[in-house]
This record gives sequence, C-alpha cells and structure tokens, in this order.
Amino acid sequence: MRRWRRCRGRRCEGVRSADRWQVGPTLGNRAVERAAAIFADLWRSERSIGKLRAAPISLNMKVNPQSFFNFCAHHAPLLHALAEHGGELSDAEALRLIRLNPSAAEELPETTWRRLRELQILVPTEPGGALFFLADPVARLLTYLYNEANPATPEMIRGCVLSLETTGKRLARALDEEDVQQVKLAFEDISQPLRRIYADLNETQRAILAEVARFKTERSRVSVREKYQRIVHWMERYVEPMIEVVRPDGQLRAAFDETERLLHRAREEALFNDNLALVRNLRFLRLVGGHALRVFMQCRKEIQPLFESLRRSSFIAEGAARALEKLQTDGLSKWGNEYLIGLAALRFQNVPSDAAIALALRRVVDHPPQPPPVVQFSTEKDNPTELVRLMWLDSLPDLVRGDLPLQDLMAWLVRKFPERDTSDVLTGFSGLLFHRDFQAAFADATPRAYHTPDGEITASPLTLASA
Amino acid sequence: MNQLPHLAEIFDRLKRGYHLGPDDEPEFSALQARSDDYAAYFAALGLTLVRHEREFYYFEPDNPENVPDTLPRIAVFSYIVIDHAANQGRPIEEYIFGQNFLMTALPHFALDRYATLLRQVDMHEMSDVKILLNRMEQIGWVKWLGPDEFRFLRPFHRVFSKCIEIVQAANSQGNAAGAANASQNPPTSSSAKE
Repeated sequence: MRRWRRCRGRRCEGVRSADRWQVGPTLGNRAVERAAAIFADLWRSERSIGKLRAAPISLNMKVNPQSFFNFCAHHAPLLHALAEHGGELSDAEALRLIRLNPSAAEELPETTWRRLRELQILVPTEPGGALFFLADPVARLLTYLYNEANPATPEMIRGCVLSLETTGKRLARALDEEDVQQVKLAFEDISQPLRRIYADLNETQRAILAEVARFKTERSRVSVREKYQRIVHWMERYVEPMIEVVRPDGQLRAAFDETERLLHRAREEALFNDNLALVRNLRFLRLVGGHALRVFMQCRKEIQPLFESLRRSSFIAEGAARALEKLQTDGLSKWGNEYLIGLAALRFQNVPSDAAIALALRRVVDHPPQPPPVVQFSTEKDNPTELVRLMWLDSLPDLVRGDLPLQDLMAWLVRKFPERDTSDVLTGFSGLLFHRDFQAAFADATPRAYHTPDGEITASPLTLASA
Repeated sequence: MNQLPHLAEIFDRLKRGYHLGPDDEPEFSALQARSDDYAAYFAALGLTLVRHEREFYYFEPDNPENVPDTLPRIAVFSYIVIDHAANQGRPIEEYIFGQNFLMTALPHFALDRYATLLRQVDMHEMSDVKILLNRMEQIGWVKWLGPDEFRFLRPFHRVFSKCIEIVQAANSQGNAAGAANASQNPPTSSSAKE
C-alpha cells in the first residue's frame, strides 16, 4: 500500500486562483470538478516542489479524485474539525470527531473512519502506527478553502531562492552550450520557485495580518507577558528575518537580478525571444521583486505598534510583579525605597510667625541710637622688653668680634653686660657658642663661679675664636 | 517672572505632593504655556519642577529618611492593579486608563495573595482601600466619579515609570553579573576558535 509521507510546513501551490468556493454539503458538480483539478495540480506540484523541500512526498496509492471529493462534499464539517485539531490523533479521538460531525449521508462512524484512511485523508504517523494525522496535501487544500493562511519561514523562502540560483546556473550552462531543450526546461523550472515565493509572501502577509487582528480582538485571559512573547516570536521568526532576505541588497534581490540577466541573455541570443515562459518569467521576476519588500514592510508597520505596546506593557507588568514578589519574600522591612514612588511634601521647620517677625522689626525700629565707639590710636614710647632683648642677642656676634680671641666667654659676658640676668647671659652664651662665625672650645681648667644680678653660674672657661 | 499666572495656587498644590495634569485647569494650561519659567522660579527656592514625558507636573520628591506609611500602601495597591491588568491580557495602559473602576470590583481582596501583600502594609479591608484612594485623589492620581466609582488619572504613569525602572535595574544587575561571570570564566579554546 502506498502512502503519503508526512511532510510538515508545506503549502499549497497551484491554488492561487482568485476563484474561491464553498465546500460543504451543497458542493455542486462544477465545484467538485474545479476542486479535483486543483487537487491534481497540487499533486503534480508536490512532486516537483518535493525537490525543493527537505522531505519529499511519495504518493504510493492512486486515490480516485471523484471518490475523494464526493467524500469531502459529504464530510466538510468533519474535515474542518480535523484541520482545526491539528497534530496527531488516535483512532478514538478520530471517532469522537466523526461522531461530533456526522455525515449528511447517514453512514456509520466506523465506515467514515475506514474511508478516511482509504482515501488517505488521515495517514499514520509511521507504518502500522496507531496515531494519525491529516495528510499535508489535504490540510493545505483545507487551509486554502477556508481562507486560512500559514506564514512562510525565511528558510522556506531561502530554499526557493537557492532553487532559483541552481536553476540559473543550469540555464547559464545550457545557454553556453546552446542546448535548446535544457534552456526550455530551465525556463519552466524558474517559474516554479517564483510562483511559490509569490504565494508564500502573500500567505505570510495574510497570516501576519490575521495574527495582528487576533491580538487586537482577543479577549481571552492570556497574560500580557505571554502575548508579548508571542508577538516577539512573530517579529523574530518571520518579519525581521524575512526583511533581511527580501531587502534590496538581500539574497532574494541578488538571485532575481542574476536570473533576469540570464533571461535577457537568452532573449538577446534570439533563440528564445518568442518563448512564452521566458516572457512570463521576466514579468514575474519584476512583480515578485517589488512585491516582496513591500509586503514585509507593510507587515512590519502592522505589527510594530502592537509589538511596542505589548513590550511596554510587558515591562510594566514585570516591574510590578518583581516588586510584589520582593515584598512577598522579604517583607516590608526589607522592601526598600526603590519600589516606592516618592511624593513631594514641603515641610517648614523653625519658621518664625508673622507676629515674631513684626516684633523683631519693631525692636530694630525702636532701638535708641548710640554713639559709635572711639578707637584710641597711640604709639608706645618704649620698645617692648622682649624686642630689646632680641635686639641685644642679635648684636652680640658683632660686639664680641672686636674682642676676639677670648679666653673665657662667660667672663666676658658677665663683665660686659652686668645688668643681664642669668637667663640672658646663658642665652647669649649659647648663641655665640653655636654661631657659625666662631670656633669655641672648653678650656681644660677648674670650673669657676660667675656672678649675675640674680644668681651665680659655675662653669669651665670657654675659649672663643674666629672660625 | 513675577507675572507667572496662578503661581500661588500651583505652588500650593505641588508642595503637597499633588500632580498637576490635564484635569487640573487652569493651572495645567498655565504650566504648559510657561513651564520653563515656572521651573526657574521654583529652582530659585530649591524646588525641582518635573515635567513628566506624559505631560503632567510634580515637584521632585526628597529622599526622606522616614518614609510615610502612605507610600508603601500606594505602591502595593498600584502594583496589584497592574498585576491584575497583566493577567487580563490587555495592554496595561489601555486597561488602567480606558475604563472606570468600581471600588467593590477591585481585585485587591479577591485573591489571597493580594490580601496577604496588603496586610503587610496594614491594609485589611476595603475601607482601608477607600482611605488610600482618597489620599491618591489628594495627589492627583485618581478622581472619584461617584461614591464607589473612580478612574485613574494621567499622573498614574509614575507607577508605570517606576515599574520600567525596576526592570531596567534588574536587567542591568543581571548584565553586570553576567559580565562578572564571563570575566571569571574565560572562553575555552574551542569556543575561542568558534
């Protein structure tokens, strides 16, 4: 038995038509035929796009489109429920959904369950496994039919760009070798990633706008922090990286320019100037190139205010939560002033009252005038004693110089200045003993007694000479 | 300078901690028209007139050693309002300023966690909240619309600014700690090669 292999993250290509129709019990034959055509296109594109994707699909069993769409026509609510469920589901879960969304044809749930597997609408996650998931081509068809959009990741766009680059190299080689068949094949291959990029961009824009609208209208109790994390995810996962890819100096533009150059070369070499694929590709290149950046700049403009608002709200909420948590864990005594919002409160301290000020002024006004103090300026007639003493001490070296050499300095002082007391004599003696102009030496003689007005000095004689 | 209009009224309100916002006419318009002149006048008295980025005015508070009991109460009350708003999933500012509040519908005593926090600042029942809201009206943060109904005024933005300040301080501390760890744990040779 052949199966569809699981392949997540794909999208429906070849279903870009503006024609939309309702799927449900009222689905008419014309709509069935149209959907069948789209589904067939989907399968074909899946085969070719499989080359671009990480996990190529393999279709192992031919499903009759007529049977498939007849079944879908009678089970549209069930298919929608399966699509909304998403992810893996067990047979019990599948049967529950079948019972919740009964068929218009009044068939048994077990029959519906069997047909879901026969038509490969539900496929096992692994061969023989008990878990199932909605086959990707069906999921994408339902996404398209219910006008829902999934965003393309930058990696998906880069994959398309890489495919375009590879095809471009093949085209260049074919042009060099003038291999007409290869050139025509390259033309066809170029249109595939271009269509996919265009579809992906549009679908991503729709997904982002839907998400923004959901954010604005959502009243569910999702916390601000969770919302902020979600919007950050959208910004960081889709919008900003995608702008990097599609900006004028980005990877997409470079691949487009190179492809356009090769197509012009093919046209100029006249072999292919009437090829419809070439003309279409050139037109599409210009269309997608300009469209890509505009789409994502618009997306950023839509999402940026929401991002800013939620970021601010998230910060505010986080700050409040931190403050409350700190209070809860540490208590009020350790809460600290950094969590308080200060208020001005002007406090007047030691301010005199009006009555006190008036009294002070009155005292100044009523204060009786007094004559100013007289300062006596007069000079002293006698020199101060200390000054006289200092002047005497300063004059000693000059006085003694004329009597040098002296055999007994102390005797000279007592004889010359008999009015000087013991203190003055000793001070003068010391000054002369250590003066730099004189050389002094104690004589090796018996100590003598020198009389002063207030006492007696006993000392050995000291000789003094010029230095 | 001496011709500043409504100077006495403005000074009288600001010195009590009041925040002059768009709801306070004609003082607010007078301040808006000549905010620099008023700021210079008050600066000469040693007072700093703050013009908040959201367009309201207040005197820069001192850092008193003795914190009045009201400040922690106002802070806890306000943080609880914000915490509750965040859990509603709506942008905080839209939630706070986009509706009137009934005092009886406040979440403060609806959750044990909130009630515990309020008890720490000596608030035990809704009558305490009423007193606090009266005080907040005196500083121009709320306005009573009826006996039980009030709305938050623009100067409540000071709480938001404080919240953002708390987060920034925490982030900068985290960054500093990260840098310190990085300096203590230099990259290995393999990571250096990378």
